[in-house]
Amino acid sequence: MEMFFALDPLWILFGTFSLLLLMGTPVAFCLGVSSFATIAFIGLPPVVVFQRLNSGISVFALMAIPFFIYAGELMVRGDIARRLVALAGSAVGHLRGGLGQVNIAASVLFGGISGSAAADASAIGGLMIPQMEERGYGRDYAVNVTVVSSIIALMLPPSHNLIIYSISAGGRISIADLFTAGIIPGLILAFCLMVTAWAVARKRGYTTEPFPGARAILGLLINATPGLILVAIIFGGVRSGIFTASESSCIAVVYAIFVTIVIYRTLSWDAFVGATLGAVRTASMVLLVIGSAAAFGWLLAYLRVPGTLVEAIKNVSENPIIILLMLNVILLFLGTFMDMSPLIVITTPIFLPVAVAFGVDPVHFGIILILNLGIGLCTPPVGAVLFVGCAVGKLPVATAIRTIWPFYLAAVVTLLLVTYIPGLSLWLPSLFH
Amino acid sequence: MQSFVLKLSALMRVLSRVSIWLSGLGLVLMTAFIAWQVFGRFVLNDTPTWTETTSVLLMGWFILLGASVGIREGNHLSFDVVLYFAGPKMKAILHSISDLVVIAFGSGMVIYGWSLAANAWNTTIPNLGITGAATFFALIWGGIQIVLFSIERLLRRLTGLHTARFGETEIGDA
Repeated sequence: MEMFFALDPLWILFGTFSLLLLMGTPVAFCLGVSSFATIAFIGLPPVVVFQRLNSGISVFALMAIPFFIYAGELMVRGDIARRLVALAGSAVGHLRGGLGQVNIAASVLFGGISGSAAADASAIGGLMIPQMEERGYGRDYAVNVTVVSSIIALMLPPSHNLIIYSISAGGRISIADLFTAGIIPGLILAFCLMVTAWAVARKRGYTTEPFPGARAILGLLINATPGLILVAIIFGGVRSGIFTASESSCIAVVYAIFVTIVIYRTLSWDAFVGATLGAVRTASMVLLVIGSAAAFGWLLAYLRVPGTLVEAIKNVSENPIIILLMLNVILLFLGTFMDMSPLIVITTPIFLPVAVAFGVDPVHFGIILILNLGIGLCTPPVGAVLFVGCAVGKLPVATAIRTIWPFYLAAVVTLLLVTYIPGLSLWLPSLFH
Repeated sequence: MQSFVLKLSALMRVLSRVSIWLSGLGLVLMTAFIAWQVFGRFVLNDTPTWTETTSVLLMGWFILLGASVGIREGNHLSFDVVLYFAGPKMKAILHSISDLVVIAFGSGMVIYGWSLAANAWNTTIPNLGITGAATFFALIWGGIQIVLFSIERLLRRLTGLHTARFGETEIGDA
C-alpha cells in the first residue's frame, strides 16, 4: 500500500499530465507543465524544462517536418493530387469496386509523395467521394475507403511521422532505413484494402469503370510524371545519402513550387499563401508538441521509466510474441484517444526500449508503431482522419463507422502480418547495407 | 466591459495576423536558405556555413509565433473526449483552467527564457557571430504572445463572447 501512496515523482509526472489532458489542455502544455511540476518536486532547477524545450525545437533534422507538410500542402492546392488520382483511375478503375480501387491506388501514389494521412484523406476524399456517389456507390463506402486507405500515406516515404519517430528515439535510427522499411508494409496494406474493397463491392453489386486503353493510361502517366518524379528525388536523395532528410524535404518544396507554377501553371498567389499559412499552422502545433516532449522524455529517462517498465513486463511474460501483442493492444487503445504526433513523441521513449529489450529491431518497431497509431487515426472517439473523411464526405461519424469494420479488419490483418514477420519491414532496407 | 474586450480583441487580431504572416515568411526563408545550401554544395562547390544555423533560429521563431497564433485560433492538439460530455458551464470552467495553465507555462517561457538569455549573453553563435542569447529570443517572445492570447480568451469567455476551439467554433473575426 505504501508504494501507492508515497508521492513518487512518477505520480506527479503522469498524474499532472493525465489530469490536464482530460481537462482538454493542449497536449504541448500538458507535457510542459507536468514536466515542470515534476522537476520542481524533485528539486531540480525548473529552467531545465525551458532549456529542453528550446533545444528540442532547435534541431536541424526537425526541419524535414515543416518542409514535408509544406510540400504536401502545395501538391494538394497546386493540382498535383488531381493528376495522380486521374492516373490511378485509368489503371485500376476496371477492377470490381472500380472507384474504391481507384481511391486506394490514388492513396499509394499521393501518399507516396505527401506522407500525410490527413492531407491524403482531404485531397483524395474531396476528389473521389463526390465521383463515387455520382456513380452509385454508397457514401459510407466512399468515406470508409478514403479514411482507411489514407493510412497508406503514413507507411510510404516520405512519411514525416517516421521522422518524428526517429527524432523521438534520439535521432539514432536511420531515416533512410525507416523510409525503406515502410514500403512493403504500405503495399501490403494497399493490397489488403483492395481485396476488401473488392469483396464489399461484390456484395453490394457496385459497377466497374470501362478500361480506357493503354494509350489513355500512357497519356495520364505523362501528365502525372512531374509529380511522380518527386518520389524519386526524395527517396533517392535520402537513400543515397546525397542529401539529409531535411535537405531533400526542402528540395521537395522547391520542386513542388516549380512544378505547380512553371509546368502545370496551377498555383495561384492565393493558393501559394494558403499552402504556406496552412503548413505553418499545422507544423507549428506538431513541432511545439515535439519540443515540450523533449523535456518530458528527458524526465522519463531521468526517472528510469523504460528500465522499470521492462522489468515489470518481464514479470508478466518473456515471450516476444506476447509482448508484441501487448504493445499492439496498448498502442491501438492509446491511438483511439489521441493524435498521432503527440503519441509518437510520448510512447517512443517508453516502449521502444521495451521492444528492443525483447529483441525487436528499432526500425521494425517504428513501422509497427506508425501502423498502430495510423489505425487509431481512423477510429472514434478521436480520429483526425476519420473526422476529415466524414467532413469531406458530409457523413455523420456514427454512420460511417457502422459499415467500416471490414476495412478495419484489413488494417488489423496487415498489422499482425507486419508485427510477426519482421522481414516484411527489414528485408528491403537490408538490401541497401 | 464587453466593448473593452472587443477593442482588445481587435488589437490581438492584428497581432495574430502579423504573427502568422511572419511565421509564413520564416518558412519561405528557411526553404530558400536550405535550397541555397544545397545549391552551394553541389553547384558552387562551396557550402555556405550560415544557412543551417540561421534556418534553425528561424524555425524557432516560426514554431513559437505559429503556436501562439494556434492558442488564439484554438487549433492546438488536445484531448476533447471528456469535454464532449461536459455541460456548457462545466466546459467553460475547464476551458478557463486550461487557459490559466497555458498562461502559467507561457510566463515560464518568458521568465526562464530571459534568464537563459542573460546567461548566454556573452557567448557567440559560431558561423553567425551574434550573441548566444538570440537562441532564446523566440522563446521569450512566443511566451509573451501565448500569455496575451490566453488572457484574451479568458476575457472573451468572461464577457460572453466566443472563443475558438478546434473543430467546434471559429472565433468569428478572422
